[in-house]
Amino acid sequence: MAAKKLRRARLSEELCERLSRYQITTCQDFLCLSLLELMKVTGQSYYDVQKLLCKVSRACAPKMQTAYEMKLRKSVNPSSAFLSTTLHSLDKVLHGGVPCGSLTEITSPPGCGKTQFCIMVSVLATLPVSMGGLDGAVIYIDTESAFSAERLIEIAGSRFPTYFDSDEKLFCMTSSVHLYRELTCGAVLNRIMSLEEEIISKKVKLIIIDSVASVVRKEFDTKLQGNLAERSNFLARGASVLKYLAEEFSIPKSEMLGPVTAQFGSMGHPLGVLGGCGDLLGLEMINRWVFSSVFGLLPAPSGSTVVTIVLTCC
Amino acid sequence: MVLTFVEIGISKEEALEALQVVRQECHGDATRTAGGSGATRKCTALELLEEEQAQGFIITFCSALDNILGGGVQLTKITEICGAPGVGKTQLCMQLAVDVQIPECFGGVAGEAVFIDTEGSFMVDRVVEIATACVRHCQLIAEAHQEEDNLKALETFSLESILSHIYYFRCRDYVELLAQVYLLPDFLSEHSKVRLVVVDGIAFPFRHDFEDLSLRTRLLNGLAQQLIIIANDHKSAVVLTNQMTTRIGQSQSTLVPALGESWGHAATVRLIFHWDNSQRLATLYKSPSQKESTIPYHITSHGFRDVQPPAVTQNAEDTEMNPRKRPRREEEK
Repeated sequence: MAAKKLRRARLSEELCERLSRYQITTCQDFLCLSLLELMKVTGQSYYDVQKLLCKVSRACAPKMQTAYEMKLRKSVNPSSAFLSTTLHSLDKVLHGGVPCGSLTEITSPPGCGKTQFCIMVSVLATLPVSMGGLDGAVIYIDTESAFSAERLIEIAGSRFPTYFDSDEKLFCMTSSVHLYRELTCGAVLNRIMSLEEEIISKKVKLIIIDSVASVVRKEFDTKLQGNLAERSNFLARGASVLKYLAEEFSIPKSEMLGPVTAQFGSMGHPLGVLGGCGDLLGLEMINRWVFSSVFGLLPAPSGSTVVTIVLTCC
Repeated sequence: MVLTFVEIGISKEEALEALQVVRQECHGDATRTAGGSGATRKCTALELLEEEQAQGFIITFCSALDNILGGGVQLTKITEICGAPGVGKTQLCMQLAVDVQIPECFGGVAGEAVFIDTEGSFMVDRVVEIATACVRHCQLIAEAHQEEDNLKALETFSLESILSHIYYFRCRDYVELLAQVYLLPDFLSEHSKVRLVVVDGIAFPFRHDFEDLSLRTRLLNGLAQQLIIIANDHKSAVVLTNQMTTRIGQSQSTLVPALGESWGHAATVRLIFHWDNSQRLATLYKSPSQKESTIPYHITSHGFRDVQPPAVTQNAEDTEMNPRKRPRREEEK
């Protein structure tokens, strides 16, 4: 929307000509100028410039919807609102499961079961809708090389023995999990940016990034000056692109941050525990789940109270 | 100009009279159209006092928070809510978007709400929960008092009407946010009942992809100015949510509101939400009329609420309104 050309905002030809001489060609360029600068480049009066601003704003402003319309749209398609995790107590607390169309963050100390959870959710996403799945492909961005295809098949076979009764079904499932090994921040960001086409062509319904913290920790040393800003820049850009993708294509996205940093609170205390990078930089994740070795899973999504559920990993 | 007249030898008052006569002759129409909005910006403190006392507040349903704010979120002012992720900023915004619609007979301002979302954290299902609890609360009051006005107001105060009067805009980047704020005055003129504008959050689109920090400061200041004008002209409250950032000091790091020092001047009232072990706290950090204080609050399934002290005896009405509160206290123990 920001990159929309001014010509498409229905400004007159000669005005667009004049503005392009000052290198102002998109709505973004236009709206970033102060009124005085606009008056100078357009050569028009204060009131006329105000009207022009409104015209350009109308071209890139978002559409209005009432909360009622949003609710109606959701109720038309209730099953597609969540991906059930098949853990009943967890689903109950989360009002359905992993929400589609938003970003979910899972953090924990190492060894709690984040990657296992992600592998399980990948299997679930490939299941048909009648079984509670999303009947779609999965994009798995692996930065730690922790993904094991054998484990994927093991989980699928043990969890749903009746469905995955033939090798063919298993192969079909594995061919819809697309694995990308990215080992640097830049590679991860590039991969995220290029996801839009993949989502459409491969009919992707779930995106998992395992994990963001490991690749960020490797590259950014917070003791060095300037690294903190760069790191937060990288994370924020990634997050905003992911959010856009999640909302546009209504897919749930699981992003995993790694182990908890020791300086931000003890591990036993669920609410004092902060994710590896998220809280340090004030990243807003919509749903944050904290795995803890003692308590299991403690979801703290917006809107629900914090409840403890015991999980066993098998 | 007066001095030149005084040189001629007349007194300052006579000079002023002469000037005014001359002005009226020359400008005529121009002053009449341009002075329209200017005239309302000038008034005495007495007039302002009367206005302020007659003005309503938007209650938050957490009486402790309403108390430290002096009654609730004030109209015609910008209130900023800062806090770490997950502490309850969006919850309060959603609560306010519902509370602004409470009819006047129940103590509300009977307005509508504009919700500008830059982070995508607006959850309709959650608003449905909050609105249902609010309607239930008003119904209980109406049943207890049995007044005509209350019952009549309840006919129009329903879940559907609350949801239909929350106008939602999803801005994906700062350009869309700027565009939307430029268009807001026109929108508010068409929807004159709007009494609350929420921007959740103001920091997110400005915190990345900005190499030119001076441009960022300029854009933010412009935004702040426009929002102040909107708040005053349309008599609405503007609520902004801000993120926290870490300021690395020499020996330690502290959490401070994001967007820098100059942004701190934009909001009239600043609230900082933070954690203390497992208790959520709200601190009134900046206010022209209330003193700085901290209170605890809770987020329940019904929305933003007070922390109930365990010693308080609950009568039948309370248990009906907040049936979830007792079970949780037992769980916490």
